[in-house]
Amino acid sequence: MSDNNAFQIAYDDEAVVIVGSGAGGGTLAYELTARGIPCVVLEAGAYLKPEDYENDEWPAFNQMAWLDKRTTSGSWRVARDFPNLPAWIVKAVGGSTTHWSGATPRFKDYEFKTKTYYGGVQGANLLDWPITLEELAPYYDAAEKAMGSTHRHGRPPLPANNNYKVFANGAESVGYKFYATGPYATNAEPYDGRPASIQDGFNFQGDKNSSKWSTAVREIPRALATGKLDLRTQSQAVQITHDAKGHADGVLYLDKDGNLHRQRAKVVCVAGNSIESPRLLLMSASSLHPNGLANSSGQVGRNYMRHTTGSVYATFDKPVRMYRGETMAGIVADEARLDTARGFAGGYYLETLALGPAFMGAFVEPGGWGADFAALLDAYLNTAGLWIVGEDLPQETNRITLNTADQDQWGLPVPNVHFDDHANDVAMREHAYSRADLMYEAVGAQSTHHTPPYPSTHNLGSCRMSARPEDGVVDAHGQAHDVPGLFVSDGSQMTSGAAANPTLTIVALAIRQAEFIADELAKGAL
Amino acid sequence: MATDSGIDETSVGADDRANLVQLLRTAYPHPRFPDGPYERTADAILEQIGESVWHRTLLTRGLRTLDDAAHGPFRDLDDIAASELLHAIADAEFFVFIRGVAVPLLYGDPEVWAALGYEGESFSKGGYVNRGFDDLDWLPDPRVEEYDGSDEFVEVADQDQLKKA
Repeated sequence: MSDNNAFQIAYDDEAVVIVGSGAGGGTLAYELTARGIPCVVLEAGAYLKPEDYENDEWPAFNQMAWLDKRTTSGSWRVARDFPNLPAWIVKAVGGSTTHWSGATPRFKDYEFKTKTYYGGVQGANLLDWPITLEELAPYYDAAEKAMGSTHRHGRPPLPANNNYKVFANGAESVGYKFYATGPYATNAEPYDGRPASIQDGFNFQGDKNSSKWSTAVREIPRALATGKLDLRTQSQAVQITHDAKGHADGVLYLDKDGNLHRQRAKVVCVAGNSIESPRLLLMSASSLHPNGLANSSGQVGRNYMRHTTGSVYATFDKPVRMYRGETMAGIVADEARLDTARGFAGGYYLETLALGPAFMGAFVEPGGWGADFAALLDAYLNTAGLWIVGEDLPQETNRITLNTADQDQWGLPVPNVHFDDHANDVAMREHAYSRADLMYEAVGAQSTHHTPPYPSTHNLGSCRMSARPEDGVVDAHGQAHDVPGLFVSDGSQMTSGAAANPTLTIVALAIRQAEFIADELAKGAL
Repeated sequence: MATDSGIDETSVGADDRANLVQLLRTAYPHPRFPDGPYERTADAILEQIGESVWHRTLLTRGLRTLDDAAHGPFRDLDDIAASELLHAIADAEFFVFIRGVAVPLLYGDPEVWAALGYEGESFSKGGYVNRGFDDLDWLPDPRVEEYDGSDEFVEVADQDQLKKA
């Protein structure tokens, strides 16, 4: 069953079965096994190690990206530019923490209470979280320490790289104050057994130096070392089963050769990212759950959020060499606040971002060609870049569904991702583009280019938390309202997306959820 | 593949390849790029032709009829005429297909990287920590720490504060 460790759990042993090994699943696996609780982790991808990662954008993408077929619909531009790649996430042990940027801002208090603060925004399915920032704060502390966030708990800041120098000087020039090189979960000095960054410029490709936190370099190896983890790679979950009383009791999955297995479970934790998690629940429909497992609310797959994003690339008359150094190591937080005088609810961050020519060609202006397009690439050496990441509003019609007309390589229905920008999202993006232009113009930009959203790296909300069962899929601990023993453990449980990059919050929620599961198991309540 | 009429409609010859190279140079006009990346991109596209009947027929038909549209060899057109022709066929399926395949190949070519000033793989060289990750010298060194001045961060603006009941 397991090819990664000596510890094996029999198929008919009741274990905690975790689907996915990324920020949520990997953290949960470590937190539970460290408490002596045996876990099976079903990871769809292979176990890539730092020595496997490649300093080359497309080969690295093809090595680790989730490329199983998906379809798209809706008016979002990604559906036009990348119709079969709605999301840019990783299929490997470590999940998307393998390629994540490393930014670790916390959510803000008001972002847990968007219905209360934003009120009735037409077309938005707003809801307050059933938990508050105050309740999550100690878990944020634990997550920041685990991940080694710079600027937090005594961790020093990363140094200024070239891209940051342009970004920060621009921010200062327009009067922004709340900028810094972090917090980022990348070591500026050795920490937790991993070395300081060597600023090699490859981050979205997996960090060969292991200076960046990921569950592939921290939680999974440590969970394996407990002797309580049965890590099964290249194992695609197909269905979650329940017993006659409706309690989750197993997971059907395919091994790498396409053989179907069933692992018995006393607890099932779904952490396949916000497209695969609802897909798995929808594929798990039964006579007790005719519309999909845990879907008595009808909210499974709905309220899918992907952050309001975009990039700005600015060209100067002098070299920048943005590719040297950490891909992301700069953040402006001045706009990450609630001020509807700007014309939209919610806030956004600006964060440094550098691509190599290979990704610039594909993403700076998708589908572009001709002299103007070539000029964007010709200016590469003198280009600085940033990424916009802000809160997008949940909409019931933005959703993951099963596209039964189309099948993946296993013969399973592919997920369809439907998304329409909300007017609030569009207004925020335009505001952010204009602020980025001002920043770069203030330090001498000759031109700026507004790059549309990349395939979604932040996929959120499709199995959301709610106080009342009719408003969402899971409760305040991520347990399904209507399926005891079933937990959602990734970003799909988020009730709002907030402005912040989500990984820190996913980890904090997973640490909290692991504590709850361990306590309940100890009490015999699960 | 020969057809019943004996005419070879779906194999690519030197003239078709030259048309493809010209098309790529026109669609992605970089005076600093040598010929090698365009030729390698063209050859990689042509290698994919065998993957399906659709690709093979689509591409060969498209490349061959460039000459018809050009009223002569497309590969011999000057830059302006070639560009005008491509804009006229911007939505042609074969051209859309070529663009989709060409971009990752062309801009993933190490000779292109060198022309643009990009240095490629760096881990084996110790990254850039001692090789200029912070060598930009035309702006002052900015603060890297978080702001600790006297201004408070206003998380919720006055008009958005919750009304006290």
